[in-house]
Amino acid sequence: MQQLELLKHTDKINELLARYGVKFGIYKNNIFKEQLFPFDSIPRIIEHKEFSHLEKGLKQRVMALNLFLKDIYSKKQIVKDGIVPEDFIFASSGYMAECEGTVPPKGIYSHISGIDLVKGKDDNWYILEDNLRVPSGASYPMIARDLCRRSSPDTFHNYRLEDNRNYADLLRRAMDYVNPGGHTVILTPGRYNAAYFEHSYLAEKTGAHLATGSELIVENDTLYYISSDGTREKVGAVYRRISDEYLDPMNFNPESLIGIPHIYEVFRKGNVALINAPGNGVADDKGIYYFVPKMIRYYLDEEPILCNAPTYLPFYEEDMKYVLSHFDELVLKDVAEAGGYGVVFGNSMTKQQKQDFIDLLQREPRRFIAQEVIDFQDLDILEQGEIVPRKADLRAFVLMAEEPMVWKSGLTRFSRNTDSFIVNSSQGGGFKDTWVLYQ
Amino acid sequence: MSVLHFEYKMEIKYEEYVGRCYFTIKCIPKEDARQHLRGLKLSVLPEVAYSWGKDSFGNRQIYGCETEPHNQFVFQAVGDVEIIQTDYEEEAGDETTGIFRVPHGKCVPGPGLSEYYKSQDFSRCKSHYEICMALMHSLHQDFSYVPGATQVNTTAEEAWGMGRGVCQDYAHIYITLLRMAGIPARYVCGLIIGEGASHAWAEALCGNRWIAFDPTNDCLVLDHYIKLGHGRDAADCAINRGLMWNGGAQSQTISVLVEKCE
Repeated sequence: MQQLELLKHTDKINELLARYGVKFGIYKNNIFKEQLFPFDSIPRIIEHKEFSHLEKGLKQRVMALNLFLKDIYSKKQIVKDGIVPEDFIFASSGYMAECEGTVPPKGIYSHISGIDLVKGKDDNWYILEDNLRVPSGASYPMIARDLCRRSSPDTFHNYRLEDNRNYADLLRRAMDYVNPGGHTVILTPGRYNAAYFEHSYLAEKTGAHLATGSELIVENDTLYYISSDGTREKVGAVYRRISDEYLDPMNFNPESLIGIPHIYEVFRKGNVALINAPGNGVADDKGIYYFVPKMIRYYLDEEPILCNAPTYLPFYEEDMKYVLSHFDELVLKDVAEAGGYGVVFGNSMTKQQKQDFIDLLQREPRRFIAQEVIDFQDLDILEQGEIVPRKADLRAFVLMAEEPMVWKSGLTRFSRNTDSFIVNSSQGGGFKDTWVLYQ
Repeated sequence: MSVLHFEYKMEIKYEEYVGRCYFTIKCIPKEDARQHLRGLKLSVLPEVAYSWGKDSFGNRQIYGCETEPHNQFVFQAVGDVEIIQTDYEEEAGDETTGIFRVPHGKCVPGPGLSEYYKSQDFSRCKSHYEICMALMHSLHQDFSYVPGATQVNTTAEEAWGMGRGVCQDYAHIYITLLRMAGIPARYVCGLIIGEGASHAWAEALCGNRWIAFDPTNDCLVLDHYIKLGHGRDAADCAINRGLMWNGGAQSQTISVLVEKCE
């Protein structure tokens, strides 16, 4: 691997990525900073057989999560049957009462799911979290692959790997499948958004219109795109890259300036598909994560193919006991936080911090989950000409049309910090391409 | 059974012309086992096309967008409502009611309401219904009806701290307390016989029935109440929600008339 000719082009590729505007906006201490998303050219390679296993497990998981969402916003059978306690639904910040009773086109809630996994030292893959709201990141390996192929075509002659540039086709299929008629639009908050590169790149690759809220208007229960010459075109599918609360100031946050008034009413009437559907946050909540294996058994009557990291819910008395007696071995996560925030390791706290944390945990047990720290495999990265090991995860993308489709690639993120387990790009990590080999 | 004639009128005047205005109005009486609506007439000025829909709580709404410049907006609904049954609101269906049990929005208890709740003695109450009654009587005694003391956005805890408020505050506080007792409770927006403004009360789940209590008047809701909509708190069933460009300062006048038909 270290001999790959491709590696000689790392700097050049990073330069090109910067020129194309592949940047990531981060907030630190309330200051917005745009920074480059460093690319490491040593790919993560996944063998065909190993990926097939992942593929089966990911499809299964996303099927169950979609069924869960459909159930939660209608009959709530899983709650009535006592599998998921009511408190975990209604007290979840991702649960949206406004979504009760509205079934999205074709009953699909999560069209694009970003599932984060790590590979343990035991060679098993573990699911770390599900992202069912607006998971981002697919564009980075897409453009990186493109630049790598151009920089070092020979490298790609010698490896039998799946072409990952079909992501746009999969996305288009997922969008078209639920479109009840009309154009397809990617809704962006605008060019100052952290992921604007991705919005524009995916629009270009899928042939969708890239639009801001002010270019879309609701009239007579129909959504229209106003093109530059003032003509109106009916819109049937919106891949919205803004979060639920900003989507419609007449239904959600009234202060939103980037949303479209009454778009949710068009959705209620079935005249537009919103991708992903609003309300998905109730299924990718860190507290609900604990229940995903149970969901798979409940809805599909199958055993989960991929496992969760061993997780405890202090909400249950038995789990609380375990957490308190094994505190130093566990990582504790605030269910309301994302992006690597609100994560603390039991063994990294001072005595006082630990006591304060335990007090908080006992006051608000619903707010936290505790997990075993997974000793995950390092991946090699190139740092100033030297190969060094770093922690890395994988965000796999599952797209839903008639059936779930797993993109044969993914976003591999790594921590640039030697001793950090947190790989989120919002905390300054880098990324790699993910190569899936075919047979 | 009784038949009530109602007129609801909302008039908004703007200091400057409004270029564009989106509106969602929820003031159409519910159609359910308790009440039946007939002869509904709606008018919107300036005239504009609007759509009909239902929100996630089943409340009927009309919504649309006024694109012509205007400096006043008038909405009026007139009709008759037949009140078919008076002793309870409706049978609880198959739906889970947890959504009306967890603290939410304006109905989240703070230290003041928590302490008040702890001071209550339910030892003699044998059912949810009796707890609802006991809480309603206490609240009516310990809170004063004073218009103008609170705002539309005042929470239950804030209103309780001031010790006075209007029907919305009574309903918010009452709902918060019922939920603390583990009883699912809904906020109801509606109209009451007489002349004035809209009214608010609460429905609590007692056994498998939603019973309506009016904490402002310390009584059960009978056949002189028209229900418009329900939700977790006032925001869920706000009669008017608007979004406008320009317009400057605005003044809103609401007039309600409900009378018994002979």
